[in-house]
Amino acid sequence: MGYAVSEPGTTRAPSALAIKILIAGGFGVGKTTMVGTISEIRPLHTEELLSDRGIGVDDTSGVESKTTTTVALDFGRITIRDGLWLYLFGTPGQDRFWFMWDELALGALGAVVLADTRRLQDCFPAVDYFEQRGIPFVVGVNCFDGARRYEPGKVRRALGLAEHIPIVMCDVRRRASVRDVLTTLVTYAVKGA
Amino acid sequence: MTGEDPGPLIRLYGLTGGRARPQGESFDLVAIVVTVGDLPQPSDLLPEHRAVLSLCRRPTPVADVAAHLRLPINITRVILGDLRRDGLISIERPRPVAQTIDERIYREVLDGLRSL
Ligand SMILES: Nc1nc2c(ncn2[C@@H]2O[C@H](COP(=O)(O)OP(=O)(O)O)[C@@H](O)[C@H]2O)c(=O)[nH]1
Ligand SMILES: [Mg+2]
Repeated sequence: MGYAVSEPGTTRAPSALAIKILIAGGFGVGKTTMVGTISEIRPLHTEELLSDRGIGVDDTSGVESKTTTTVALDFGRITIRDGLWLYLFGTPGQDRFWFMWDELALGALGAVVLADTRRLQDCFPAVDYFEQRGIPFVVGVNCFDGARRYEPGKVRRALGLAEHIPIVMCDVRRRASVRDVLTTLVTYAVKGA
Repeated sequence: MTGEDPGPLIRLYGLTGGRARPQGESFDLVAIVVTVGDLPQPSDLLPEHRAVLSLCRRPTPVADVAAHLRLPINITRVILGDLRRDGLISIERPRPVAQTIDERIYREVLDGLRSL
């Protein structure tokens, strides 16, 4: 099919590229909705088994153990062309899944931190996380119906965001809006502006 | 493999021998997997292994392999590590993301997004 195939064990880069983008933010802020709005594959969960204790065979507590050994990972794909894709991963909300973030964040182009103006503080952990690791991120303010409209400057001050970090007002249920957030992120991550 | 009954966990255990981590060098969730051409498939492959080899004749990211197999990503990674050890697939090594996106790819991504 015209693809270069490398020999086993060699490091030749295949002629294909998958770009990873993370969608983060507090519980109920719209991460799953955002991935679903833009992804070409749906429903788009993959169940991740928490691995550190094996795969559940040591657990004897039945159903309950099962619910504690899996976490749903939002997973979406946008095909740019054959061999070039964007992958969106919604980060698991709960604190106990922080270790999964490291894995997800590794090699990511950048992240969208979704914020809800009614509880801005919920996105502090995500902002901290990406700032500390130097991962480029933009803040998407998901404008829920009935939520007070905020000026981006207010959000910036409330979150203590540096001037250069883009803030985008968005409605994650709308495709065009999600698209704008993603183009802002890609440009910021690649061009630094 | 919906996790509705105890069967799937047993099945998953069979696929991985209970290992949580893949063999060899670690690889990313979106690392590209390619089936190594021209090797005759061993006759004793598990169905999941066969499915990977067939899918990855076209370069396919790890996460997509998991989605196709309907298996958790960790399990998929163990399977992929085994297939790599056996020389049946190659898995792209981690690259700094900045190096992978040149001006042309950047333009392609922006145009692609805008046309959605
Ligand atoms: N009105 C409104 N509801 C939204 C919006 N975004 C998400 N929701 C709803 O908020 C709830 C939580 O969203 P979800 O995507 O599951 O949040 P997650 O926990 O971050 O994945 C769902 O019921 C969504 O339908 C929005 O922009 N406007
Ligand atoms: Mg969710």
